Amino acid sequence: MEFLLEIMTEEMPYAHVKLAHDQLINLFRQELTEARIKIKELRTSGTCRRLVVVADIEEKQSDREDIILGPPKKVAFTEDNKFTNAAFGFARAHNISVEDLEIISTPKGDYLGFKKKEEGQPAKKILPEVIPRVLSSLSFPKMMRWNEGMGRFSRPVKNLMALLDGEPLQFAYLDWPVRPFTFGHRFHSPLQLTVKSWKEYIDALRKNKVIVEPEERRRIILEGAKKLLEPYGAQLYPDDELLERLVNDVEHPFVILGSFPEKYLALPIEIISTVLREGQKLFSVTRQGKQLPLFVGVADQIADPKFLIRQGYERVLKARLEDALFFWEQDLKVPLKERVDQLARIVFQEKLGTYLEKTERLKKLVVFLGQQLGEKEILKTSLQAAELCKTDLLTEMVREFPSLQGKVGGLYCRVQNYPPSVAKAIYEHYQPQSLDEPSPSSLEGAILALADKIDSLVGAIGLGAEISGSGDPLGLRRYAHGICKIILDHRLRLSLTKLIRKSIHLYGEKLCLNEKETVEACLGFFTQRLRFIYEKNGFRYDLINASLQTGIDDIYLSFLRLKALEELKSSPAFEPFVLMVRRVNNILRGQPVFKFNEQLLKEKAEKELQAAFEIVKENALPLIQQGEFSKAQKIVFKLQSPLNNFFDKVLVMVEDRKLRQNRLALLHNIRDFLFKIADFSQIVLAGEKENQKGKA
Amino acid sequence: MALQDLIMNLQQFWAKQGCYLAQSYDVEVGAGTMTPDTFFRVLGKRPWRVAYVQPSRRPTDGRYGENPHRVQKHFQFQVIIKPSPLDIQDIYLDSLRACGIKLEEHDLRFDEDDWESPTIGAWGVGWQVMLDGLEITQFTYFQQAGGLDLFPIPVEITYGLERLEMFLEGKDSIYDLDWSKDVSYRDLRWLEEKEFSEYNFKAADIERLQTAFLLYQKEAQQLIDRRLLLPAYDCCLKLSHLFNLLDSRGAISVTERVKLIAEIRHLVNQIARLFVSLEGED
Repeated sequence: MEFLLEIMTEEMPYAHVKLAHDQLINLFRQELTEARIKIKELRTSGTCRRLVVVADIEEKQSDREDIILGPPKKVAFTEDNKFTNAAFGFARAHNISVEDLEIISTPKGDYLGFKKKEEGQPAKKILPEVIPRVLSSLSFPKMMRWNEGMGRFSRPVKNLMALLDGEPLQFAYLDWPVRPFTFGHRFHSPLQLTVKSWKEYIDALRKNKVIVEPEERRRIILEGAKKLLEPYGAQLYPDDELLERLVNDVEHPFVILGSFPEKYLALPIEIISTVLREGQKLFSVTRQGKQLPLFVGVADQIADPKFLIRQGYERVLKARLEDALFFWEQDLKVPLKERVDQLARIVFQEKLGTYLEKTERLKKLVVFLGQQLGEKEILKTSLQAAELCKTDLLTEMVREFPSLQGKVGGLYCRVQNYPPSVAKAIYEHYQPQSLDEPSPSSLEGAILALADKIDSLVGAIGLGAEISGSGDPLGLRRYAHGICKIILDHRLRLSLTKLIRKSIHLYGEKLCLNEKETVEACLGFFTQRLRFIYEKNGFRYDLINASLQTGIDDIYLSFLRLKALEELKSSPAFEPFVLMVRRVNNILRGQPVFKFNEQLLKEKAEKELQAAFEIVKENALPLIQQGEFSKAQKIVFKLQSPLNNFFDKVLVMVEDRKLRQNRLALLHNIRDFLFKIADFSQIVLAGEKENQKGKA
Repeated sequence: MALQDLIMNLQQFWAKQGCYLAQSYDVEVGAGTMTPDTFFRVLGKRPWRVAYVQPSRRPTDGRYGENPHRVQKHFQFQVIIKPSPLDIQDIYLDSLRACGIKLEEHDLRFDEDDWESPTIGAWGVGWQVMLDGLEITQFTYFQQAGGLDLFPIPVEITYGLERLEMFLEGKDSIYDLDWSKDVSYRDLRWLEEKEFSEYNFKAADIERLQTAFLLYQKEAQQLIDRRLLLPAYDCCLKLSHLFNLLDSRGAISVTERVKLIAEIRHLVNQIARLFVSLEGED
């Protein structure tokens, strides 16, 4: 049967609409499954004014048979096989006669009891109970109330319409209006519309100037823009977030093309597109990567025959561009270098001091990073970039458009004729803002970004910032993700611990936690974030553990380790090897560390093992250093046969204490060596998954 | 249609909706929300309907009369209705029609924009209303004021009169607007903008502003202690304006900002709590 629910509201925020769609799917799936109504199809649709659920469901609940157990057989019958009082009592309690009871066998023995059959109720009866439960479970980051009603929602709810195979469902929730009809576009067709099906619903709304399906609105916008821009050989400057917002915000998209005076092209595209986007939700237009004095907007309209809308947008935009051009020209009158001292006037963080202090720390951090990475020739660029990177916080442009911080600094640098590499490093140093954004493309940018992020992260954690909560109010996750991503993208080999220590030292006496606590909190946080990143990239959790357990000091190395495990996990040598390592671990469990003495080796098999181990070590160690884990691992697999042989032929736990301890010491050396590759004890083999998962 | 016609249209429209037409409040405020006709009346359970023009001062927005859009004092048309009517969006749209705007020919959008005022412990959810990309109204369902949950829920509609008039007259500069047939916005306001910008950014004496802040702070507290809540609230408005002036003089550091706002909020919250508890005694 077709189930259709429409929740009409006043205009909901884009983020809330997205949340509502996810929740509606989950809640209906959960509630209907619990109510034993099978779902063949379930999806959502709608606009900012209507949340729509459409589903194909079974017309009734599946039947249910409950087994009701009474007294055990022994208690229910007398010795001459007559019902006891216990049996009569049970029957009476369930309002049936003893003749209807039967013997039911269970693993615990035979019982007197009966099977209670419950026929499934029609969906028509169940849905009126399900819908209010779903409505009361929907939640938003910020909930509101309105009028004198008791309900809370994202925005006021205007109308609820629920149909089952075209028939209106009778239900009630709080004082929200439930009616068997819907409404068209706010201005073009505010009529009551009665429909009998999803198809009729879409068609009726289309006639009344509402395009229900987000996909279709997106297509109208993109195709409309393409058509308008074709004569200019131009394209939209891509902006997916803006597109999604506009798809959400209008019920009937109408694409407009407008223009602005060419003199504003003196502004770079980053600034023009920000002015367009943030003020009025307009797209920039480019041809061969160059900004044109045009914009594309999306109105909630069917036409603009008198060009009133276009002219309106143009007038407002011109005023905003005029402001931006004024800021640009004013800001450029002061060389960034001259702004550095004024950084003392703005606070980075109350306890961590000003941006001038931060700048001093960044200068030292980029030098440190350059040395760690052996990149001495970029030192001068990095230093200059570090010195200037925060100065744009003092400009009018960044005050007006805070999202442009960094970029504005880079752009001003370029115009003021600083070296291009300096401009680029500053431009990129807030990147990446999320795991989906690219890292800085230049090495100088990467180093400055690392310095900036580690300084902010260590500062916050060193002050005791909460790192386990669900939100990310201080952006700590963003910093940690940024650092990991830059290291992985640029394949940087450096010691995270040393970097954290350096950053702590630069803070001097400012932090609340001591050095050890701060380092531990940071490393714990990075381990957690790195696990998140690895999981997001689809690596198996046990392989992730096997890599992370060996440490994350060298993040790139930890990644190579994981990648090698991933490559080798299906090799035939892998599983026997993991089992062998477990055998080694088992025998060493609870044993202290003994000193190994080659002279004490007696049996042939143990001498062979030691010889093989020496060769493997010699060949594999340099590969491990270089991060060639896959190659190293293939060499290490060669220990399999001498180890097998050793366990077959040699008794480790012999009476002779010296011999025993020496054999344990040999195995210990092997285990320590293997740990340089991975913690194989974390690996879960096929068939063990469920048992092991709890332990991981 | 001149600005005063717009005002008269809106007054007439909202009077018909049962609003009492208040006169502008005579203490400096940053927004119409801050006057007693809004602040005290949204608290408590009594229904309330009011509409008024309120000059609103934002010292940092001063541009010496040189920017065609930004001024350190502008005029808001403020409407408060409690409880918020179920069809308030439609009523609001009718008010625009009453001003002569043919909504069918334009792009009108309710664009997510939640509002909060930390100084008076208030927040709400709603939209900025955009007309062909121009923000003409702030539309808010109040949820809290003075740190108290509100119920019934009031709705606040704040028209930016200059913005709306620029739209109606199709003008690019605020100073070119007609206030009446004979008097322009420039005639009335340009000199004021120029002189007050000079005052806000340069001439205001920081030390005396700081002293005044301390004096009003003490005065507010002693008035609260005597349960003279309306005079105490006026002192809070003074404090808010002094804060804004100090800010435009660049005399407030980031740390101080948080501290001063918290101090004002502390006073305002006391007033709101006492007001609600005393109202219950009537």
